[in-house]
Amino acid sequence: MSIHIRVPMLPGAGKETWQANVNGEAHEHLVESNAILLDVLRDQSGTLGVKRGCDMGTCGCCAVLIDGEPRLSCLCLAKEAEGTDITTVEGLADGHHLHPIQKCFAEAGGSQCGFCTPGFLVVTSAFIEENPNPTRDEIKCAIEGNLCRCTGYQQIVDAVEMAAAMKREGVQTPDPTEPKSDPHPLGPDVPSLPPGSSK
Amino acid sequence: MGKGYRQAPGKDAGKKRTDGKREAGQQDFGVPGSGGSKPHSKLQDLDYVPESEGGWKKQPRGPHVHDPHVTGTTIGKSTPLIDANWKMTGQAQYGDDIRLPGELIGKILRSPHHYAKIKSIDTSAAEAMEGVFAVATGQDSANSFGVLPVTKDEHAMAQEKVRHVGDLVACVCAIDEATAIDAMNSIEVDYEILPSIHDMEDGLLDSEHPIHDRGKYHIGQSNVQKRVFQQFGDLDTMEEAPYRHEADWEIAGLHHGFTEPHAVVAHWDPAGRLTVWTPQQVPHYLHRALSAVLEIPMHQINVYRTFVGGGFGGKSDPFPHEMCAAILARKCGRPVRINFDREEVYWINRGRHPSRIQMGVFADDEGRISGIETDALIDGGAFASFGHVTTYYNGVLHTAPYEIGGFNYTGARVWTNKPASGAMRGHGAVNSRCAVEVGIDAVAEQMSVDPMTFRLANLLPPHSRTITGFRITSTGMRECLAKVREQSGWDEKFRNLPLGRGIGVGCGFFISGSGLPIHWDPENFPHATVHLQCDMDGGVTVHTGAAEIGQGSDTAVAQAVSEVLALPLDMIRIRSNETDTAPVDLGSYSSRVTFMNCNAAIRAAIELKEKVMKAACEIIGYHPDVLVIGDRRIYYKHDPAVGVSWLEAVHKAQADVGSLIASGAYRTAPMGGVHKGAAAGLAPAYSFSAYVAEVEVDVETGFVKVIKAWAAHDCGKALNPLAVKGQIIGSCHMGMGQVLSEEMKYGRDGHLMNPDLLDYKIMSVHEMPEVVPIIVESNDPEGPFGAKEAGEGPLLPILPAVCNAIYDAIGIRIDELPVTPDRLHKQIEKRCKEMGVEDPLDLPSPRFEASPLEQRLAERAEAHAARDHLRDIQEDRSSYVNGVLFGFDPDIPMSEQNEGWRESVTPTPEDLTDSNKRAARAWSHVERRHQGDSL
Repeated sequence: MSIHIRVPMLPGAGKETWQANVNGEAHEHLVESNAILLDVLRDQSGTLGVKRGCDMGTCGCCAVLIDGEPRLSCLCLAKEAEGTDITTVEGLADGHHLHPIQKCFAEAGGSQCGFCTPGFLVVTSAFIEENPNPTRDEIKCAIEGNLCRCTGYQQIVDAVEMAAAMKREGVQTPDPTEPKSDPHPLGPDVPSLPPGSSK
Repeated sequence: MGKGYRQAPGKDAGKKRTDGKREAGQQDFGVPGSGGSKPHSKLQDLDYVPESEGGWKKQPRGPHVHDPHVTGTTIGKSTPLIDANWKMTGQAQYGDDIRLPGELIGKILRSPHHYAKIKSIDTSAAEAMEGVFAVATGQDSANSFGVLPVTKDEHAMAQEKVRHVGDLVACVCAIDEATAIDAMNSIEVDYEILPSIHDMEDGLLDSEHPIHDRGKYHIGQSNVQKRVFQQFGDLDTMEEAPYRHEADWEIAGLHHGFTEPHAVVAHWDPAGRLTVWTPQQVPHYLHRALSAVLEIPMHQINVYRTFVGGGFGGKSDPFPHEMCAAILARKCGRPVRINFDREEVYWINRGRHPSRIQMGVFADDEGRISGIETDALIDGGAFASFGHVTTYYNGVLHTAPYEIGGFNYTGARVWTNKPASGAMRGHGAVNSRCAVEVGIDAVAEQMSVDPMTFRLANLLPPHSRTITGFRITSTGMRECLAKVREQSGWDEKFRNLPLGRGIGVGCGFFISGSGLPIHWDPENFPHATVHLQCDMDGGVTVHTGAAEIGQGSDTAVAQAVSEVLALPLDMIRIRSNETDTAPVDLGSYSSRVTFMNCNAAIRAAIELKEKVMKAACEIIGYHPDVLVIGDRRIYYKHDPAVGVSWLEAVHKAQADVGSLIASGAYRTAPMGGVHKGAAAGLAPAYSFSAYVAEVEVDVETGFVKVIKAWAAHDCGKALNPLAVKGQIIGSCHMGMGQVLSEEMKYGRDGHLMNPDLLDYKIMSVHEMPEVVPIIVESNDPEGPFGAKEAGEGPLLPILPAVCNAIYDAIGIRIDELPVTPDRLHKQIEKRCKEMGVEDPLDLPSPRFEASPLEQRLAERAEAHAARDHLRDIQEDRSSYVNGVLFGFDPDIPMSEQNEGWRESVTPTPEDLTDSNKRAARAWSHVERRHQGDSL
């Protein structure tokens, strides 16, 4: 917002149809020719996982993959992404299974408040695709465009290392919809013995 | 000194109550952890240690009231945050992600002037615009609010004056953002510009137009918002100390830099109730403020805390834009969403205070710290915010971890025409702590002793009292220092590294929850309350008002409940978002959540457990005392085959008693002195930390890089080591930002020059060094399972550790933050001139030769370590107050043993003769109510 200068909002050049594949789904919206991709994704495609942190390309919260390449959607006109495949954080998990990078960020403490996390996730998911066996320095270079205020990055780098290893070994992440603990573990008739019991 | 909270006795303080109610400072509290439906805790067998921990024997750090409730389920195990998957999949809804059907977009018109009177506002053009639904100005929001009840100086929108660039003037809501911006820009405001002040020292002077008017409490005609004076101890001896270091610090203001800009959605539902969705650290205060501003009862409001994209103190005030959204939504009958851009985040600010701190550290021939003298002038910006507390914290939070002979503090907070400063991680303690620790390093240098040894020989023991009466329960300070000393290779590196390489140490301590809640009468209300509800499914729902802001409070409270009930974490559900369903909690500030909320949760879980155990007893036929609760099963201690499942017992309990619910609450134990301000800095426990940092200084350019940091933090007990480590590393990140790069830069005309993340330099991954987090567990006797805070304390020591490392590298004492290359380069040039060298590469690096005192101090430290151990396991239960090191008897009041001993919180004219002290000048004004009858 501008405090000193009063510039009337420029009238748009008129709305046009914009289409792209967002997370594998064809999207068609009427957008202004000067619309920013971030706004279209958040306000029209409904992918609210793309976060708005600074509007000027400094924080990396709005990163998405355009045809597999990490881009800052706040610095990208929607027009530039016309007809492309766009992946947001919502598109990382396949059906039930989280992407390894999502699981590892959670387990290694790579996310605290979680606001910067979507940006880190899309950037690093593309990165480990490209470099399945990264060093810590290479990981740092991959995430240099993302700011995190909570974690101090260390656990984020740990998470990326873990995820790369998981991906190399082809480990599948557990399905979160699987049954959780049973409050009646062995049924009412069969006593469950505590560990170490001889009975 | 008496006990209790009588920090500011009211007019009836002397009278005895006859209505049967309890009176402040006069009666005993229940055992800590009491409250809820059971007002007092039962006595516990303190020597009992659960079998999972090795049977009946004394713990190395002493006994704990929660020992019998340890089941080995989750406590102490690294646990990913229970809400992590929402965040991972982009489904976590932050403020700006709340989208309601029919929502309108709100925009706020802000002041372009630092200080001006509003002569008129013309909103007619905006109101006539198509697509504009409502316009509101200060006329719609006459009621004031503020986070502290004593300083309600904010309004939703400016009343008569705007007080800083970016102050709220009017707001509009419209069908879309473009229309809202157009409408906002069409509002005509006629200002009469007033002379603004930007330098904090000008705030001490009389002003024709003070920024606020506090009526009879106004301090003279000045812009002094709060002033504090505290003198404790033997100040005459302190003044004669042979070793002294005095420095004049200039510390820049800071912003929290959370990644999520503020956003709020307000909606009045058809039944006439208001719901406000907002990322708030303290929903309860907002709840109160909304009620006051909108003139509706609190039960008509539901504050819904969304996911919070980082808080760090910056989302803990009730904010004017939250009122604006509610006012607009009320006017037009539709939901209104206001989201900030990054620049607006800086206008609302509430970051760390720009400060000028004069710090004197004194030591005697015995290597004891004979005193600390501090004068802190802090720049509060345009509003009070948490300012009262910050002004105290700048002084009182350096009365530990060392035993000191005297404490002389003058502090003042002034209003200036800047965005308001407020609470930020390490509230009020960070700047002055840095100054103290650098002073201690310098004094040790003068004495030719290792600063590690010097610190170790001057620590307060566990179960002691500080000079101003804070009660220290557990302390792991000694272990923290020992661990960083060993792991960093201190003894080989200190004063041995080549020019441009250095190593430094810093310590810190911080409150674990505030002893006196801001809004509540501690006599009648607890600090935190937790309700548990268990139904046919066997899972337990936890209702708590503690605000999860990413620190893991939901996870911690789930762990506490799961531990007591021996249930897996996935059977615990947390409902902490809405004030409609949550019991009141005072919010995420003062590092209080783990300590207070988990204590309340444990109480509640114990109550629930007793009910289920009773039902199990009826099924199995054994008394609850011989029943053990294990993983989803309750069984007979001596024959585990005899037992029932958790679900069966739950069903039985429900059949017996109906609904299976429990609640628990926490209030602090009675403690602290009775002088004015005694409650500031008072906490049920304190965390301690010691860090070592190794830096590399480019002596030609002044560029500083931290290579590695060893960070030991005493958090009592790490309930979730993963989260504690995250807090330690994250604190280091924020602290290193403050010491090396972050500052809010104000230009010559007082305008904020860097309200964006490009020029406000938060450390990126490349500047961030490796941090070795070291968890020290001192098992606090009152903390939940022994835990203390780990959120703010870990930030304090990194600043002085880096500053001291810079000294070790190039022999320059830092007294200005942040240490940017240009600032340090000037210092290097100055030092070259002093030393008479041309090339900075020829500068000598500091070296160290131990004096005989070193050996004596090392011996003293060793003796103290043995003493502390005995006090830890409570074999030695004798009283200990600050001053014993100086030969005083802890059981006789100090003033009876030493005629020069002072305990004063109101200055006499002689106390203020030193004209160099800045904050002391605030006392030259007389409060209006004391100026005589004419006023």
